[in-house]
Amino acid sequence: MEILPQLLVNSLISGSIYALASAGLALVYGLLRVLNFAHGHFMMVGAYAFYFLAVEQAYGLPASAAFALLVIVLLAALSFKIFVEPFASLSFFLPFVTTLSLATIFESSVSIIFDVNVKSLTSGFEINSLSFAGIFITPVQIVIILSALVLLGLIAFIIHSTSLGRRIRALSQDDYAGQALGVSKKKINYLVFISGAVLAAYAGILIGYETNLQPTMGNAYTIKAFAAMILGGLGNLWGTIAGAYVLGLVENLSIGIDFWGYSLPAGYKDAFAFVMILLVLLFKPRGLFNKEAREA
Amino acid sequence: MEYFIHLIIIIGIYLILAQSFNLTLGLGLLFNLAHVSVYAVGAYVTALLATELGMGFFGCLVCSVLICGLFAIILGAISIKLKEDYFAIGTLAFSSVISALLINWKSLTHGVLGIPGIPRPEFSFLKVDFYDNINFLVLTYVLVAITFFMLYLFFNNFFARTLRAQSEFRQATKALGKNTRLTRNMSFFIASCFAGLAGSLYAYYINYIDPSSFSLTEMIFVLTVVVVGKPGSFWGCVFGTVFLVLLPEPLRFTRDVPLALEWLFGMPYPQISAIPVLGWLITPVVSFLLYASRPSVLGPMRQMLYAVILFIVVYFRREALFPVQRRV
Repeated sequence: MEILPQLLVNSLISGSIYALASAGLALVYGLLRVLNFAHGHFMMVGAYAFYFLAVEQAYGLPASAAFALLVIVLLAALSFKIFVEPFASLSFFLPFVTTLSLATIFESSVSIIFDVNVKSLTSGFEINSLSFAGIFITPVQIVIILSALVLLGLIAFIIHSTSLGRRIRALSQDDYAGQALGVSKKKINYLVFISGAVLAAYAGILIGYETNLQPTMGNAYTIKAFAAMILGGLGNLWGTIAGAYVLGLVENLSIGIDFWGYSLPAGYKDAFAFVMILLVLLFKPRGLFNKEAREA
Repeated sequence: MEYFIHLIIIIGIYLILAQSFNLTLGLGLLFNLAHVSVYAVGAYVTALLATELGMGFFGCLVCSVLICGLFAIILGAISIKLKEDYFAIGTLAFSSVISALLINWKSLTHGVLGIPGIPRPEFSFLKVDFYDNINFLVLTYVLVAITFFMLYLFFNNFFARTLRAQSEFRQATKALGKNTRLTRNMSFFIASCFAGLAGSLYAYYINYIDPSSFSLTEMIFVLTVVVVGKPGSFWGCVFGTVFLVLLPEPLRFTRDVPLALEWLFGMPYPQISAIPVLGWLITPVVSFLLYASRPSVLGPMRQMLYAVILFIVVYFRREALFPVQRRV
């Protein structure tokens, strides 16, 4: 079992990415009861915006990051205005269908503009792995783990000890009561939706450094984020983040460990997330970390 | 002409697929995102049986239909406790498991390479083969007619009423003594059987299948068809299929637009674009169309077209599309 520490570190890395990707989804679901299918596509679009300035135009890191941030904030605000807000209060089906179409629009526009081939953010330079006591880790991976910790800590601080966080929590518990007490639902909705998209885009850029970019990556990460959310219980932010780390752990252990001389091929790594969704839905539909019962 | 026949056959296959999806989404409000994956299973069963075992047409068809029915039962068992959003995610996960299996189970499905060389059906007792597309067209529409006859019955009997009622108010339907669970699972079973039939026909018609033909894009297309034709409306779905299959076809001819303009104006294209006002208006449109006719742009363009139509229809019908009020 000398491979185990490396597997644990790898699962920490993928768990951090999933946590960044799914935190925004969980916040939006908790607030609006909207399943945003285009969430993974914000990752993709943000990463491509960054790629456009950093690699194709060869600008520096701060300029590219600012540009990607600007693009994502504008796109998220516009998407929320057009694709989510008119439908959020009507029926569950409508926002899901419209965000599905938004996701397709994102994916096809990026494939038209940037081509469907795989792109890499790290094509210009070489990354040396560092090794500590037999564990290999690249600087990018250290950044991933640390930034997940910092950003999730920041979210925790905002949600639990600022007045903004109190308003968000109030609206997710009962939006009528919250609005009656003078909390502006519209502002909070925009704020949460945009910051979720920005978090997702940041995760997308990290993925671009860690592996590579493809227009079709959006779907895969949306479903991964759904998996993390199902594991933690729909709309439960901390459950979702815990679910993201569990998902990373299960995925990496499933393909890394020999089962009596037989190990699963790496192609099945992604399928594990989906099988986990099905198992959790089958046996514990409330999620692993939700105590309260669902109505009806 | 050959191309026209191709389009009519494709319409026939999508008619079966979309109408069966209409049964679950339109009547039962069951947002089954695994429908296209079941269709893929039907196509793969036919492809494997026909190429590996050399089974005949009826054998393959029946096996496809039954195996898809079996998948529906599994899906029903998994999703029976789930409502709305949980249900959509569950079926999405189920469809992702199937596509992961299609890509990774290389010894069975050949992975991304797909299965080539599926022979067209032959009826030796009638001395008819279906290598000719006209014959295949007849075969397709015979099956479409059978499917539509059966689905029409299902759309207009007690089963449809129970399905509608359970989508609206499950507890009340139960209180009336209806078995909602059985009705739900039956609607999956019927829809999946017909999806398997469509998959089988698709595999026979195209002769080559690979996982990319059954992606989420395909699911969005079927969803668009049902939403455009009004969910739950039998003939609306037919209209939606014909309309949406034919809609992107003019995109294929966009590269001939300058030729058409030259013929229309009787002068070479550079002269047309130099005409004041009119030429300035035409030129950007034409250059956009020429850009859109490139093969690498055409595919995503088609996807985007469907997504935009889906959105527009949902936007303008948002009050009426999935109403909370009673409809039965």
